[in-house]
This record gives sequence, C-alpha cells and structure tokens, in this order.
Amino acid sequence: MIKLSDIVVKFGDFEALHNINVHVKEGEFFTFLGPSGCGKTTTLRTITGFIEPVSGTVFMQGKDITNVPIEKRNIGIVFQSYALFPTMTVHDNIAFGLKIKKLKKDEIEKKVKAIAEKVDLSDEQLKKAVSQLSGGQQQRVAIARALVTEPAIICMDEPLSNLDAKLRVQLRNELKKMQKDFGITTIYVTHDQEEALTLSDRIAVFNKGYIEQIGTPNEVYNYSATEFVANFIGDINPIGNNIMEAMGLNPAENHFIRLERVHVNTDTASGEVYVTDGVIESREYYGLYIKYYISAGGQTVKVIEKNDGINIYEAGEKVKVGIHKADVMSYTKKEA
Amino acid sequence: MQNTIRRKGQIDPSMIYKVFGGVLFIYLFLGFMVIPCINTLTSVFTAKDKAGNTDPLAVIRFFLAGSMPSFVWNSLKLAICLVITVNVVGISIVLLTEYFDIKGAKILRIGYMTTLIYSGVALVTGYQFLYDGNGIMTKWLVEMFPGMNKQWFSGFNAVLFTMTFACTSNHALFLRNAIRGIDYNTVEAARNMGARPFKVLFKVVMPTLLPTLFSLTVMTFITGLCAMSAPTLLGYNSINPEIVRLAGSTTADEAFPQARAALLSVILALFTIVLLLFLNHYEHKGHYLSVSKTKAKLVKQKIQNPAANVFAHIYAYVLFIIYMTPVVMIILFAFQNWSAVRTKTLDLGGWTLSNFFGVENYSYTRSNGKVTTRVGAISGVFSNEKTVGGIRLSFILSALAAALACVIVVVAVNYIFKHKNKKRAALIEGCLLFPWLLPTILICYSFRIFFNNDVWYVFGQNLYYKENVRLLIIIAYTVVKLPFALRMVKAAFYAIDDELEDAARNLGASNLVTFLKVKLPIVLPSVLAVFALNFNALFTEYDMGATFQSSEGTTYAMVIQSMCNEEGRDGMNMNASGRRCASTVFIMIVSGLILYLVYGVGSRDLGERLAIREKRRKRLQKLKGRLGMGHASAEPAEQQETV
Repeated sequence: MIKLSDIVVKFGDFEALHNINVHVKEGEFFTFLGPSGCGKTTTLRTITGFIEPVSGTVFMQGKDITNVPIEKRNIGIVFQSYALFPTMTVHDNIAFGLKIKKLKKDEIEKKVKAIAEKVDLSDEQLKKAVSQLSGGQQQRVAIARALVTEPAIICMDEPLSNLDAKLRVQLRNELKKMQKDFGITTIYVTHDQEEALTLSDRIAVFNKGYIEQIGTPNEVYNYSATEFVANFIGDINPIGNNIMEAMGLNPAENHFIRLERVHVNTDTASGEVYVTDGVIESREYYGLYIKYYISAGGQTVKVIEKNDGINIYEAGEKVKVGIHKADVMSYTKKEA
Repeated sequence: MQNTIRRKGQIDPSMIYKVFGGVLFIYLFLGFMVIPCINTLTSVFTAKDKAGNTDPLAVIRFFLAGSMPSFVWNSLKLAICLVITVNVVGISIVLLTEYFDIKGAKILRIGYMTTLIYSGVALVTGYQFLYDGNGIMTKWLVEMFPGMNKQWFSGFNAVLFTMTFACTSNHALFLRNAIRGIDYNTVEAARNMGARPFKVLFKVVMPTLLPTLFSLTVMTFITGLCAMSAPTLLGYNSINPEIVRLAGSTTADEAFPQARAALLSVILALFTIVLLLFLNHYEHKGHYLSVSKTKAKLVKQKIQNPAANVFAHIYAYVLFIIYMTPVVMIILFAFQNWSAVRTKTLDLGGWTLSNFFGVENYSYTRSNGKVTTRVGAISGVFSNEKTVGGIRLSFILSALAAALACVIVVVAVNYIFKHKNKKRAALIEGCLLFPWLLPTILICYSFRIFFNNDVWYVFGQNLYYKENVRLLIIIAYTVVKLPFALRMVKAAFYAIDDELEDAARNLGASNLVTFLKVKLPIVLPSVLAVFALNFNALFTEYDMGATFQSSEGTTYAMVIQSMCNEEGRDGMNMNASGRRCASTVFIMIVSGLILYLVYGVGSRDLGERLAIREKRRKRLQKLKGRLGMGHASAEPAEQQETV
C-alpha cells in the first residue's frame, strides 16, 4: 500500500531521517512510535507530501508519488490539533475538500450526511461551530473531514495528545472501531507506547531518525530488538553486576528484566531461576496492581504484582525475589 | 516545498507576481518613505546664504543663536511634566477601579474611559470652551475660589491640564490589563507572610506592573514631545506648531524657514529614535512574567484605614468629576440654543436640535437702526456646508487610508509568515515599521515640502497642488498607520495554527483559496478592528490635517478648529460654538460605535455568534407564541428552519 524506500530527509545540515524503509500493508493500522524529535512526524509528513526527501522514494499502491503534489496524493490527514477551521461550521469543515473538488451541491450534501452518520455526528451538531463541540466530537469531525474525500489511506498525527487521560482511552477504542468499520489503511503517529500497543496491527519504533524495530505489539514488547526499544516500551530493570554474576550472564552485554517478570514469594521451581532475599523499600498503590521497590542483590528492583487483596507487602518486610533466566533481555553493549 | 515539476525555460506565473510585488514594494518604500525624509534631512545642510552659496552649518548656527532652542526646551518641559502627571493620574484611575475596593467602581471606570471616545482636537476645543476666561467651569471655579486668576487656562498650564487627562487612555487600557493579569495568589502569599496591604501594593503588585509602566512612560514622553493640537489651540510654543508655522512661511518673511522646520523635525526624530531604541532594548531584556500555572483572579483590596478609605473615595470621585464634566457639559451645550452657548450659561428653556440639523435665519438691528437678516446664519452640523464637507472629506480619506493600510499589511504579513526566518521577510517587516521611528510631523512635513514640486516618479505631478493634496493625505495617513496595523495584524496571524494551512492544502486548496477561505476569515476580526481603530484615529486627526491644510484639503479636525473663528461677526455663523459641541457629540457617537463594534461584536467567534443567533430565534419563537402566533411556534424547530 505505502512503501518508503531509503528515505533521507535533511533540514539544512541536519539529517532528520536516515534511510527509512517501511512497508505498510492494505487495511493495516500501522503506528510510528518514538520520543519527541525521533523523526516519526517527519516520516509522516514525507508520506503526505509536506516534506520533500533529499533522496529515496515514496510508493503508494505501487506508484512513485515522491514528487506528486500534496493535494493529488489522495491521503487524508487528522492533525494533532485537528486543524478544524474555526470560522466554519462543522458541516462546512467536512464539506471543504468536496467544495474544492467542485462537486455538485446535492452530492456534497449527500456525502457529508453519510460520513456524519458514520462518525456519529447529528444534524444539529453539523450546524454548530467547531468551538461548540467537545474534544471527542471535534476528533470525529476531523476524521469525517479526512475521510469524506475517500482517501486511499489516512494519516493521524498524535490526534489524542491534547485530550485528558479518560477521554483518551475512550476515543482510542472508538478510533480502533472506526478504522475497522471503514477498513482504511491507517498510519498513526504517537509517543505514547500504551496507545501504540493497544491500537496497532504493527509498530515501527523510531529513534534519532532511524527505525529500531518494526513488528507487532507482542514482538516489540516481548522481543524488543534493541536496548532502546526495550527501554522505551514498558518499564524495565537494568540488571546489576551482583545479580548478573550470580545468574552467569554474559558481562559483555547489558541485561534487563521487565517488572512483571520478577517474582515475589512465588514458587519458582521450573526453569533456570535465580532467587535471592529482598526487603521491601517502598510501594506505589495503583489499584489494579501494586509496584514495589525491593532492595535485592545489591540493587533496587522494581516489581509489579497483581493486587489480589491478600498478598500485599509492607515496607521493611522480607521477601524472596525470583528471576527466570529466560525472561532476561540481553543486548550487546554499545561502544562509548 | 516545490510541488510541481517545471520544464526548463518555462516561466512560473507566481514568479511574475513576486517580481511585480517586489518592484511595487520598493517603489512605495523608497518613493513615499525614504526619499522625502532624506530630502528633509539634506535640506538642513544645503541652506543658501544671502550670496546664494551653500552653507552647511548656517541653519545650525541660526538655531544656536536664535530663539529656536526655546521650542525644544518647551517641548521637553511639557514631556517631562506630562510623564509625571499622566502617570500619577493614570496609575490612580487604574488602582482605584481595579485594585482597591471603591464603591461605584464600575461607574468610575466608565468616566475614566471617556477619553477613548472623546479625544484629540474635539477634547482640546471642548476643554477650551469650558475652561477659558469666560468658560462655565472657570466661572464656577472663580465663584468657589474668588482669588483665582480667570485666565488660568492658557499656555503651559492649559496644555498640561488638558493633556494630563487626555493621555490616560493607554493607562486605562494597558495598565488595566496588566493589573488584571496579576496572580492573586502572590498577593495572598505576601499577606500570609505578614505584609501589610500597602507593602503588598508597593513590593508585590507594582513591580509586576513596572514593564507596562515603563512602556507607557516612554510613549507619554513621546506624546508630550510631539504634542500638536493642544499647544496650537491653547497657545504654547512647542516644536510641532512651530514646524507647521515655518512650513507655511517663506524666505521673504524670515531666514530659511523650511530648513529650520526640517532641523526641528530631525531633532524630534532623534529624540523619538533614541527613546524607542531604549524602550526596545528594555523590552528585550525581559519582563516579569508570571510563573503561575493556575492564576487566581485578583480580588479587590479593601482599604482598612477609615481615613485613607474616605480620602481614596473623595480622590476617585474628584477625578471622575474632572473626567466627566467636560463630556456632560459638551453634550448639554450641544442641545442648547445659540445664545445660551455663546454666553456659556445653561438655559433650561433653550433646548434645541438646531446645532445638529436644519438652517435658520438670524435677524438683528444694526447700529444705524436697520434690521438685517442673515440667511442661514444658524446651521446644524449636518446642514452646514463647510462642516459636512469636512466630515465627508475626512470620512473618505480616513476610510481609504485605513483600508489601504490593512490591505498592505495583510498581504505583507501573509508573506512574512510564509517566509519566516528568511532575511527578506525581516526586511519587509523593518520597512513597514520604519514610520514608527519617525515623528508624524517629520513624515508630513517631508511630504508637504518634497511633493510640493513636480516629482518624476509620481507621473510628474505636484501632489500638494489643489485636489492632489487629498491623495497626499491618503498616502500620509496610510504610511503613518502602517506600524500599528503591522503589529496588530501580525499578532492575529500568530493565532493561525500552521496545521490549518496544511489541512487546507491537503484537502486540495490552492495558496489563494487557503488565504481567502481559511486564513483571512480567522484574522478578519482583527483586521476589521485595526481598520476601525485607524479610521477612528484618522477621522478627527489633527496633526496631519494641520500640516496639509489647504483649500482642497480641509479635514474635519481643521473645520472644528476654525468653526468659532468668526462666530457672530456681522450676524454670521451665530451657532459656531454650539455646532462645535454637536460635532463633538457626533464624534463621541462614531467612536463609541466603532469601539462597540470592535470590542463588543467583533471579538465574538463563530460559536458565540451562532449561540446568540439561536438565543434570538428562541426568544422570537417565545414572543410569537405570546402574541398568539402559537401555530407557528408549535411547529417543530427543524421544520421552521427548513422554511
């Protein structure tokens, strides 16, 4: 569907993207994930045509679109701020692209009504100014405006970042449902790993203008290709020298263990296990789970335990800490 | 980004526009800003002596030897005194209405803000009418204080008094906003740590107002230095009136008048440039920005000491009376008959609309016993040919200049934002801000002298000749208003999210469609506000009107000034003072309406406008129901809308 081949983007002397290669499949929900300034938005803007690459090719449905003007690429965009035109009503916002295409008035009305129905916008809401809508409704208008021109793909640039936490979760689910209903290929940009994991079919993790890993959510979380990916997605414990020596791990590598893979007072009979004594330093109560800071093996180990209401440990309490060797994530040390 | 691939040798149409726009901009900038001003500057050093030889230092020698430094000193004296008086009154009115808990603060605020609609030549002539030797206010004051000099209102005293109350508009707007922006939690924190109310005022509140106060002080100083209408009308020898006088003089009357006028305007320009650079440097050093994440709204402070509280209330209401009396009196006299106005006594039986509308004859007995009737000796603002002519001319010139300034600035700012961080954008911005560095009088004087010749680049025309002067006034008005328009419109463009432009382009809109349908509607309220404010200022503008005054270029302000010159002579022009009061009322209405449209209606966004429309629709529906048109109101709302 969309293929980026050896894309290089420069801003003056600064190289923002280094040889980016991505292939997004038809109907896929594909996410560009990474911290600020990693190149994910730059990649998206290269696909949409706002940025011209210094070298490389952008293919869409097999055709080279690298030099095709923005408006002729047939790509819908949902912007971070939604970019809804404040001086137009909801209806006029959605109809804007159709009017530019010089469609007949009754055809415009038909299309606007149809898309509004699909994204659950009422006739009354269509007459309103965008400022009179809630954040969630505004997001639906932005999606409707992007979809009404029937684009081949839709690109979303952190569309949930301006919303509060609760609404973000709610709209995330709506977004996923809408994408499945429309069956449209979607490229989604976010720095929120939870958002990426819950929404995506596949994720490309960006760092400093490179793609570190492309994979399904399970692949990037459980089989992180690089230390950066392991660090960026989810929380991890770096394994210190004491535990490393006790477990017989390769000292030429950096070793990490995810928080939920560290066991407290559990029977760890199966597999190659390292068990040591620990003392609870402190705990953070999250409701669904509890996060413990445990002094063990000469370091502080972070652990997440399901809140079963029974096994809740107090600060100062002695516990047994267990780590399966198979759960350890190891990466070659980078040269300084 | 270049989105289209062009063949070699093919001409890009947008390139033609760019070249044309660039050439036009250079022509306008050089032709109507740089060249006339350079001409003024060089004229100082190219004066010729009696033998016809050029003597570069002749004017400066004349300046140092003659009485000219007294004009500079007078202007400086006025500026320094104004800084003190305007700040005292300006800070007082803001603290009294926004910081201290004074009873009736809302009414006081209205009184203090009357200078927003009552200013310039209208205010000066109004004050003159009420406070001069036989003015109603002076009469009252003399009755109260019998030893008082009846002629107190002339020269420096009159100018200082008038300008002190006329120049607090900026305090009323900007200092008010600054004090409203204070985080009340900082006041509470200081109180909590044991600071007394006045300690809090001076140690916490005032320091945060300092940057605004500093800017206001510099602006007040420049206003005092460049004062024109008050010194001219109230008789004070400062720089600006002298420049205008010299500009109209000839070498037959005095030694090199034009070169002296040029020297005075250059001196004024130097003062202005130094002050503005100083202000700019100070502004760049940074402000005391609030670091509060969540600001608490300022709560008015009760003055705990009873004596201080009473004093503050008395002070507030005395200021209110000073502000309001001229306004009320002028309104009242505008509806009084000619004899009451001429004697400056209110006649409760003498109410009339003749100062506004209609023409009446006046009969009187001459010294030889004959009764003479003067046809049309009493005429209203809207019936007096000269006044209507002035209003019409000012209306057209101001509207055209205000519109032209907006168009130039909107196009330029759009270009500046499209080419952010590029040298050419900064250059264009600098060119448009150029008139800000120069006093208005220098620009106007330069225009008057330079274009009072056949100038090749304006098709060999003399722009000061006959009707051409109107074009010259439009150009001068436009040039002078460009910096203000630029600052305001640029601020409005900052509100446009870059993503809106991207969205429009993504949906297929061209640059022109994006500008017209997306960007312009967003900045339009601000552009209209700039248009209205510029129009408001130009409509009764005095300084430029006085410089360009000629038979074909008599603006409304000049008509107002000259209205009473020949009042009552030979039974003519009997109600000139009444008509002047009526003119002031007319100006107040126009200014008030413009301010309402700008800040009341114009500041509403689409959502607010739709909500108001919906409210009105519901109210109308309710009303229809009450009036027995229940059938219509019983229909569902959706059906009614379809109809």
